Amino acid sequence: MIPVDVAGLTKIYVDQSRGEVRAVDDISFACQPGEIFGLLGANGAGKTTTLRMLSTILAPSAGRAAVMGHDVATAPEHVRRSLGFYSASTALYPRLTGRETLEFFARINGFPEAAVAARVEALITRFGIGEYAGARVDTLSQGMKQKVSIARTVAHDPPVLIFDEPSVGLDVLNALEMQKVIGELRDDGKTIIFSTHIMSEAERLCDRIAIIHRGRIHACGTLAELRAATGRHYLEDIFVHYVEQAGAAPTP
Amino acid sequence: MSPATRRIATLFTTELRTMLRDRRTVIMSIVLPVVLMPVFLFAQQLMEERRTRALEARAYTYAVDGVLAEEARPLVAAAAVRGEARSARFREARVDDPGAALERGEVDVVVDATEARAVQEAARHERRGPGRPAALVGADEWLATLPPDLPALTVVYRGDRDASESAAARLRERLGEEQRARRLALASDAGFGAEVEAVLAVREENLSGGDEVAGLALGRVATLLLLVFLFTGGAIVAQDTLAGEKERGTLETLLTTAATRVEIVTAKFLLVLAVGVLIAGVQVANLLVYVGFELIPTSAPLATVVTPALAAGLFLFVLPLAALISAMLLLVSGYARSYREAQINFMPMMLACAGLALAAMMPAVPLRSAIVLVPIANISVGVKEVLVGRADWLFLAIAWAVTAGAAGWTMRLAARTLSTERLIVPSTGETYERPGVPALRPERIFTWFAVMWAVLLLVSLNTGPDFDIRLQLLINLGGIFVGGSFLFMRRFRLDWRETLLLRVPRWEVWVAVLVGAPSGIAVGTGVFQLANRIVPVPVEVLESFGQYLVPEGMSFWMLLPFLTLMPGVCEEIAFRGVLQQSLRRFFRPVPAALLVGIIFGLFHVSLFRLFPTAFLGVLFAAVTMLTGSIYPAMVWHALNNGIALVTGYYGWSLAALEPAGYAAATALLALSFWILWRTRPDADPRSPAPGRT
Repeated sequence: MIPVDVAGLTKIYVDQSRGEVRAVDDISFACQPGEIFGLLGANGAGKTTTLRMLSTILAPSAGRAAVMGHDVATAPEHVRRSLGFYSASTALYPRLTGRETLEFFARINGFPEAAVAARVEALITRFGIGEYAGARVDTLSQGMKQKVSIARTVAHDPPVLIFDEPSVGLDVLNALEMQKVIGELRDDGKTIIFSTHIMSEAERLCDRIAIIHRGRIHACGTLAELRAATGRHYLEDIFVHYVEQAGAAPTP
Repeated sequence: MSPATRRIATLFTTELRTMLRDRRTVIMSIVLPVVLMPVFLFAQQLMEERRTRALEARAYTYAVDGVLAEEARPLVAAAAVRGEARSARFREARVDDPGAALERGEVDVVVDATEARAVQEAARHERRGPGRPAALVGADEWLATLPPDLPALTVVYRGDRDASESAAARLRERLGEEQRARRLALASDAGFGAEVEAVLAVREENLSGGDEVAGLALGRVATLLLLVFLFTGGAIVAQDTLAGEKERGTLETLLTTAATRVEIVTAKFLLVLAVGVLIAGVQVANLLVYVGFELIPTSAPLATVVTPALAAGLFLFVLPLAALISAMLLLVSGYARSYREAQINFMPMMLACAGLALAAMMPAVPLRSAIVLVPIANISVGVKEVLVGRADWLFLAIAWAVTAGAAGWTMRLAARTLSTERLIVPSTGETYERPGVPALRPERIFTWFAVMWAVLLLVSLNTGPDFDIRLQLLINLGGIFVGGSFLFMRRFRLDWRETLLLRVPRWEVWVAVLVGAPSGIAVGTGVFQLANRIVPVPVEVLESFGQYLVPEGMSFWMLLPFLTLMPGVCEEIAFRGVLQQSLRRFFRPVPAALLVGIIFGLFHVSLFRLFPTAFLGVLFAAVTMLTGSIYPAMVWHALNNGIALVTGYYGWSLAALEPAGYAAATALLALSFWILWRTRPDADPRSPAPGRT
């Protein structure tokens, strides 16, 4: 089974001033287990809209997407049970403690009740949050919150993880820590979709990269494949090459 | 336990835990109401007692004035000392100008002693209006029956001063006693004995027991009180649990979990319901304690009015009301994108619900009528009937089912807000813009309209009833409204076509207008009648208004275009054009429509026309928003005025409609708005521009 399978996914909305806008326009890709799939694009390219459709927050206007074989349109609950979604806009409950947060997200996502306590303790140990697991989230530092947040994303042990610009608002050290954790999760066999506009992050972490611009995927492959296709070495140059190419093409 | 139930239970307990940890929510929704209510009642009781004691113990001063002052002085003095032993004392103050002394507060009351003819003349003078016969009407008709040379005493006082009002009441009573004593003395001098007192015995007997009377008093206000308690208890929690979560960013986290939208809303609903019922229960217990300590007087012991079994039955009966209020609070919170927006939307909803709960105060409206189909109002009337011991079980069951059904439907709508993308996805606002003209600062708009209002008021105050109505309309509508609107557009360089929404709507819109205009005016009349119960309009004011609209000697049909087409076009340009389009940038549709309606009502410079005109203003605002064009509101407005005038001209009173008639009109109005909703230009599925991509 392909963990994430996207075909012709499209999102159209009507804007009062701009009329019909295609935020995501007929994109297709598939992700494999133990792979970090990167969505690389500038602000406004359509990354978050794509990931929100995959996590069933937004409904696709056309096309299909499936997570662990479950269609986002027809079986959204099954899709959400199979994935963990992390983004800068998905906040934690400020008035719960770290431990309560993990218990809540494990339970609400259907983790077996008998195993919740053990799972939470394992997460606390793994992410090194034991010291402040009993403190309310609103009293934690940014770095501590980030660890609790990643732990809650994987609380129910989902096979697919989505990280939408996870390093937004983090300092260098916390961003590197985040990358380390995502790498470890890939090593655990998770399928990870990772969106970013930071070239170095994508270069370091992603097994495959899709370059998205104005809602369309203009290129998709490993870094080596992209280098070979464009004849450029640095990801930044590769990205600019595709964006300029897209700019020359008629706007969809 | 099924997985869904387990998820709801998990959500509920977590929500409850986070709510109890939020000091602001706990203080605002639990501590404040519980503490404030007894403090308020106690303070009010204490102040009332002190006020009564102070007024009782006070020595009042009076002055005697008028052409018969010297003759009346001994009589008033004799009356003033009557009852001194049992209550307040009076003393006369000799002042040069009693009227001025009363104004300055140097005396509490003035007794004006004149001949009856002077009083008759003064009363005629006050009543004399344009074209009215110089006859005494209403409460003063008895004055005309008095012999003109009879001495007449008028007790003059200031109703806005406690001491003056109290002195007047006491002195009137004592003058009455003196009058009776002198009448008896006269009869005695004429050779009559005690038999002059024994002409006729009048007594009254109330077949209702004290408990039934107390039940009626309680039944009239019980639902309204309960509603207020439910709102005060549930509002903060509802605002925090949905709008607050959006603001904190935790809603998006929740929406990516395995819980369905319905499960999320059910858990939040149960939380709001539980807190609302808990607070209402505590408040009712508070009240019972006060009634028990007799700080709140009742005509019968409460235990005889509300037995434990009845209390339990009433609790079950009002449960759908609590569910409906909770669901409505959640719906408002779901439709808001921030805490502040939820708070703004909350107030109109509470007022609307309170209006329905007032149904129990309407005389002669039984549950066995169309009211049984109106949620909240049916519970209100049902509670009253149960408390006076007239339970109509079949209709109580129907009322229960109707309100429970409304609660379920509202819950469904609330769950739908979690699937409405523009409400759940945070938008940075740079791509999704609210309709309306380019942003002006709100204070500029309000200042401009305040100036227009002041000019209108000045013109109204300086034009008497003799002023030609056509000229008045030209000044108000053409000069102030249209002139002010075009000056506004010119001053702020607004595109007048965009501001005035000069677009041709779809043909279906005209069907909706034709259905909506007559039904709207009937519903508006109903609103007026309801408003009339709150702010009663004197019959004379209504008559004088009708006369002012169509003065004698002027052809009705010649005047009709001035009163239909002109307001239709000119007022719509000002209110649904310039005002509404300017406000749309700052307010969401519902608050914008309400604001436009209220300002429209205020511009009619008449308290008694405020409610119906504000209601029409909201209707026209909604029509303009739904159609994206000003033309339908113009036509609707002109038709509305035309129907009102023609029915008035032929003496067909819309106020004489039966409740079923109003229900039918409401249904037709709903049909009209359903057509407008279905054919609105942006009816295609849409979602906002996501904030971050």
